[in-house]
Amino acid sequence: MATPTDTQEQSSDGPLQRWTQSAIQDPEKVYRALFYAAMVFFLVTTLFPFYWLIVLAVTPEGNLLSGSFLPTVNLFGVSGTFPLPVPKGFNPGAFVTVFEQVPFHLYMLNSFALAVTTTVIVLFVASLAGYVFGRLRFPGRALLMLGILAISYFPPAAFVIPLFQAFAGNAPITVPFTSIPLFTPPRMLNTPGSMVLPFSALFMPLSIFILTTFYGQIPDGLEDAARVEGTTRLGALFRVIMPLSAPGVATAAVLTFIAVYNEYFFSSIMATSPEAAKWSPIVGGILSYQTQYTTQFNLMAAASIVGVLPVVILVIVAQERIVSGLTSGALKE
Amino acid sequence: MSTETGRESRRSGALVSVMRWMENLSDTQYAYLLLVPVFVLLGIVALYPLLRTFELSLFALSADFSSTTFVGAGNYVELFTGEKNRYLPGGTTFLPEGLGMSALLNSALVVTIIFAVVSVLFETLIGLGQALILDQDFYGRRWIRAAIIIPWAVPIVIQGMIFFLMFNSNVGFLTPPLADLGLLAPTNTLNDTASATFIIIVADIWKTSAFMALLILAGLQSIDRGLYDVAKVAGATKWQQFKLITFPLILPTIGVAVLFRSVQAMRVYGIIDTVSSCTVVPSLSCMVVATFTTREGTSAAIAFVTAAIIGTVVMGLIVWQGEDAI
Repeated sequence: MATPTDTQEQSSDGPLQRWTQSAIQDPEKVYRALFYAAMVFFLVTTLFPFYWLIVLAVTPEGNLLSGSFLPTVNLFGVSGTFPLPVPKGFNPGAFVTVFEQVPFHLYMLNSFALAVTTTVIVLFVASLAGYVFGRLRFPGRALLMLGILAISYFPPAAFVIPLFQAFAGNAPITVPFTSIPLFTPPRMLNTPGSMVLPFSALFMPLSIFILTTFYGQIPDGLEDAARVEGTTRLGALFRVIMPLSAPGVATAAVLTFIAVYNEYFFSSIMATSPEAAKWSPIVGGILSYQTQYTTQFNLMAAASIVGVLPVVILVIVAQERIVSGLTSGALKE
Repeated sequence: MSTETGRESRRSGALVSVMRWMENLSDTQYAYLLLVPVFVLLGIVALYPLLRTFELSLFALSADFSSTTFVGAGNYVELFTGEKNRYLPGGTTFLPEGLGMSALLNSALVVTIIFAVVSVLFETLIGLGQALILDQDFYGRRWIRAAIIIPWAVPIVIQGMIFFLMFNSNVGFLTPPLADLGLLAPTNTLNDTASATFIIIVADIWKTSAFMALLILAGLQSIDRGLYDVAKVAGATKWQQFKLITFPLILPTIGVAVLFRSVQAMRVYGIIDTVSSCTVVPSLSCMVVATFTTREGTSAAIAFVTAAIIGTVVMGLIVWQGEDAI
């Protein structure tokens, strides 16, 4: 390239020109290149924020505010700003401190407990409903499915005021539009119940639609055979249809678990103070770093990394289930 | 069969009689029996609160804060005439007070709609791009797909923390370059309404594009591959194949996905609460949360207006899609 002779220039130009020449003859090559460029672009944009968390988390606290994360590099006499942030020092201790300053593991445990409880309840109730909608023909089926669909569209904000009042347990619940008292609910704020109930109702419709699809696909003959063998109606559902639809059940379980783990609205309102002992999930844990330790950005980043790990692992392990569930269930929903 | 009934008849007790009663129900009765848990759960957590919210929205706190009085549609009227604005946090308004940029961005209704429209538009475009890539066969497709889905699975509070840390005025490295371009306020970025709205929209696009991509991918994969072979034989370029085959066939899928996402986007709350605050970027859900402990009637009226707006969009979807919507 530096001193090409005329003859050489004609036969073999720069690599870019050579590539352009062959690309004109073979357009497939251009599509290939565009494809990989787009793929790299999407990979960088989706994964970069996690890289930034790691950069912040390993930067020692004292170095956080001094200087820029974009170092100036001097390359062959030309100095410029390096386009990627790099850590200012290395101190993985933040990943230990994050559990000491605030009991972050307890918040995560709360999140797990809430997510598992909700998933079990949702799977049970949605299994019954999925069986009904997927396998039985009865009047009002379409209307009921439409009703469940409509409810799932309503914003949580439309439910929160009466639920908060009911869970506070100060006044008796009355029949709407009258003052006839029904009963006084127990105080449920800061307990799992005040979060599991709304979560279950909120995330159940998606599971119902997924399980309806899967249960509807089991051949009638299998259920009939089980019934002839003497299984009860419920037994046929839980011992034949549910095990045969294991992929569908797993899909509904994974999606419900992730949805609860990610939930913000009720998690932040129903746990009135961000304390692990009061059943506050990771929302409370992360926010207490933001509100109490306002300059320890490395701890905020470390807590975020720790909190995101379970779902990242779940996505990598169960991505087939997630994809099939979102595409079969959510499209219908 | 005879031995089975013989064995069952020897058993007694409540469980057996319940079981036997269930066996003898008609299909319709059995269906409604199995749906009882769904009705109970949705009744407690959805139907009752919805009715009660509407009821609360018809009452207003009396001047001495001791009792509530029936005001009918009064709360709604005051909400739309701007008299309720004094109860909203941080000088935000429900409807915009003018047509200037700052007046528009100070209004909860406008901010919610801007957020929904802009974020869903970009999510659709980026999601379409991602879906077209995931539709190809290539080595390592599984890993690329996992990487693209991961943002969708990130908890909202961590998503908020990520963007808080990226644009924070102390450590956020992205603020100076973007401020040079004039996109963000150079100082106090997260407390500047326009900048914070921009950041929150970017954060939502980052998280939810993958969801759009998966929905569109399902549409792509249902296209008959034979159509592309025909197009190739007929000499169609890739662009023509996309314009004449792919796009028309996935348009219905995109339509459903867009409406579905718009409805979700109208609920935005968590990301605003983490990245900035409800006084800086007002959204409808924000207003409900900010007022519900002190001004029940106002809060319930806003909540019901939000539900009504979303309900209208959903009705449109159901009417448009008909039976296919279920």
